[in-house]
Amino acid sequence: MTSAEIMSLLPLLVLAGAAVVVMLAAAFFRSHRLSLTLTLVGLVAAFASLPLAFAYTPRQVTPMLLIDGYALFYMGLLFAASFVVALLAYGYLEKGEANPEELYILLLLSTVGGAVLVASSHFASFFLGLETLSVSLYAMIAYNRTERRAIEAGIKYLILAGVTAAFLLFGMALIYTDTGTLAFSGVVAAAAVRPSLMVMVGLGMLIVGVGFKLGVVPFHMWTPDVYQGAPAPVTGLVASMSKGAMFALVLRYFTPIPPLERQGLFLVFTTIAVLSMVGGNVLALIQDNVKRILAYSSIAHLGYLLVAFLASGPAGQLAVAFYLVAYFATTLSAFGVVTILSTPDHEAERLEDYRGLFFRNPRLAVIFTITLFSLAGIPPTAGLIGKIFIAAAGVQASLWFLLIVLVLASVIGVFYYMRIVITMFRRPETEAAQQALTGLPRGASVALAALSVILVGLGVYPVPVMTIIENMVARLV
Amino acid sequence: MAEIPTQYGIILAAILFSLGIAGILIRRNIFFILIFVEVMLNAAGLAFVVAAARWGQADGQVMFIFILATAAAEVAIGLGLLLRLHHLFKTLNVDQASDLRG
Amino acid sequence: MIVAFYVAGGVAVLSTFLVILQTNAIHALLYTILSLLSVAIVFFSLGAPLVAALEVIVYAGAIMVLFVFVVMVLNLSPETEGVDRAWLQPRTWTGPVILTLILIGELVYILMTRAGLTLEGAAIGPKQVSLALYGPYLLGVELASILLLAGLVGAYHLGRDALD
Repeated sequence: MTSAEIMSLLPLLVLAGAAVVVMLAAAFFRSHRLSLTLTLVGLVAAFASLPLAFAYTPRQVTPMLLIDGYALFYMGLLFAASFVVALLAYGYLEKGEANPEELYILLLLSTVGGAVLVASSHFASFFLGLETLSVSLYAMIAYNRTERRAIEAGIKYLILAGVTAAFLLFGMALIYTDTGTLAFSGVVAAAAVRPSLMVMVGLGMLIVGVGFKLGVVPFHMWTPDVYQGAPAPVTGLVASMSKGAMFALVLRYFTPIPPLERQGLFLVFTTIAVLSMVGGNVLALIQDNVKRILAYSSIAHLGYLLVAFLASGPAGQLAVAFYLVAYFATTLSAFGVVTILSTPDHEAERLEDYRGLFFRNPRLAVIFTITLFSLAGIPPTAGLIGKIFIAAAGVQASLWFLLIVLVLASVIGVFYYMRIVITMFRRPETEAAQQALTGLPRGASVALAALSVILVGLGVYPVPVMTIIENMVARLV
Repeated sequence: MAEIPTQYGIILAAILFSLGIAGILIRRNIFFILIFVEVMLNAAGLAFVVAAARWGQADGQVMFIFILATAAAEVAIGLGLLLRLHHLFKTLNVDQASDLRG
Repeated sequence: MIVAFYVAGGVAVLSTFLVILQTNAIHALLYTILSLLSVAIVFFSLGAPLVAALEVIVYAGAIMVLFVFVVMVLNLSPETEGVDRAWLQPRTWTGPVILTLILIGELVYILMTRAGLTLEGAAIGPKQVSLALYGPYLLGVELASILLLAGLVGAYHLGRDALD
């Protein structure tokens, strides 16, 4: 391993080192505050090492990882998401959990898994990154280990993730049998020459594994239950990082598959996208549990992202990257609000819990309103700009049917987002519920305020982020 | 070893994999479901080793070792969750241990 | 060698099938362990002695033993845990069985139409695997250890504070 390779791996090394440091610190000094501080320092250090690593890109570090601008951009996104989740988790865990330090270790380890996933160029690193992310999530979802719902959500997620991981592996094995190579480049090359039935079936099984992680229809069944049962900050992590990392990988590696195979794949992904957009939005209409509404909404948003993925080409990749940034910010902001209002004993999930929020804490209500506007695609938020980019990419690729579905689905979406907004502004019935909310955790509040600024800022002035994306990301085939 | 066609090896893996799926669909006890997840992972590992033998490479065996590590980590957490589940719900039946609406 | 492959393969399939039918948790585990040992013999017949040994030591010897511990802790016996004879009725198992047969049939068809795959000659022993692990898969080994760390921390958190 040359020094250049080590330098390019710096973000991963720093992050893994941070996880170990937090673990040792937790072993010697049981201090929640110390764990949070070390976690945040580690994430900042990893983020700061991204430009250092960028100087050594693009670089294939062993057949496992391909470190280039694309990977580093998404790693940065994941680190930022982790940072926000750590801040949110601190306030949440302070209110009730006796042993909070392990969450930060698991958080850092899951980020390592996600970072490996976006940089992977080989089935082995794909699988290992995915599993590191998943295994950390199992324990994080069930972190409130005395809560029935959390344990149930954890077990359901574990079983489904295990089954789909087995599907993924079997698909990889079939492709390996036919092509004799586990590296993505080799697989794509061999598939271009003679795409055989075995490779197609293998790809199909791969899609099962990928679809589960993305939470798209028909692999979405776990999403509402896990979102509801997991602690709110962890739900934010699952919704943003785990889906985002997998999507970045899918975009990188399903795009260059030659047109011959893309016919079949195109149809499959189109079906998945349509079902997700429609199903997600329609099913959200009948929910009155805020976390479940957000779960179905995230299914729909992954559907929108798939439209941009199908558009492909530079416009499609730009749209995906921008929408992912917007999606991360929006999701973390939404679950941030839920987190601030929740404690480990009582999660703020029913719609009733949000009634009259404006009168109890106007700032939170405004933040949540901005978030919901962004989810619905109402100006002047990042969500709208993101959808415009997706629509532009779709028009360029002539995906008319998908665009019509996207627009219709978005319209349906507005209804249930507005329902939450209206609930927040209605006067609560009892006097007791009108108590002002005080003593909100500072770190989380600051994070949420920053996210709102980002959401509106991106909606009004997206150019700086677009420039970064163009320089780093839109260089794929 | 040169006389065993690869197909039969993969078919064996496929049969074991399918039995794992069938088991998960049929049995409603989480303990058994976890066993069948292990069976499925093992079947996928078998497929990798067969493929590696077909190409004369060590890569498939390396993947098998990684699958082994994953299965171990997953089982550790899965069984921990199982014990907690049993403590909270007093049952290991999937249909009964269900607070969250489907 | 060929005979070993077919016999072991048959035993593996049969014992896995029998796992589905067991009511007693320990019996199911024993059949599973039997299946894993047969797969180990299959590995050996394919010329992969290292993974054969690892299958026995780690999969059958460690992972399955964890299951046995849990059975002991939970005292799972055939009469309890709500396993009634209901699932033996055709109504319950017809669907999954049909699906499984379709799946197997499909995979067999795909594999049989793919002609000309015979296994190479020599066995791939520990030396080649080790060279691969220390060479191109170096990062994979490190990642696997991080994965195990995640499993460790997670299991630790879930397991602390005795259940009463």
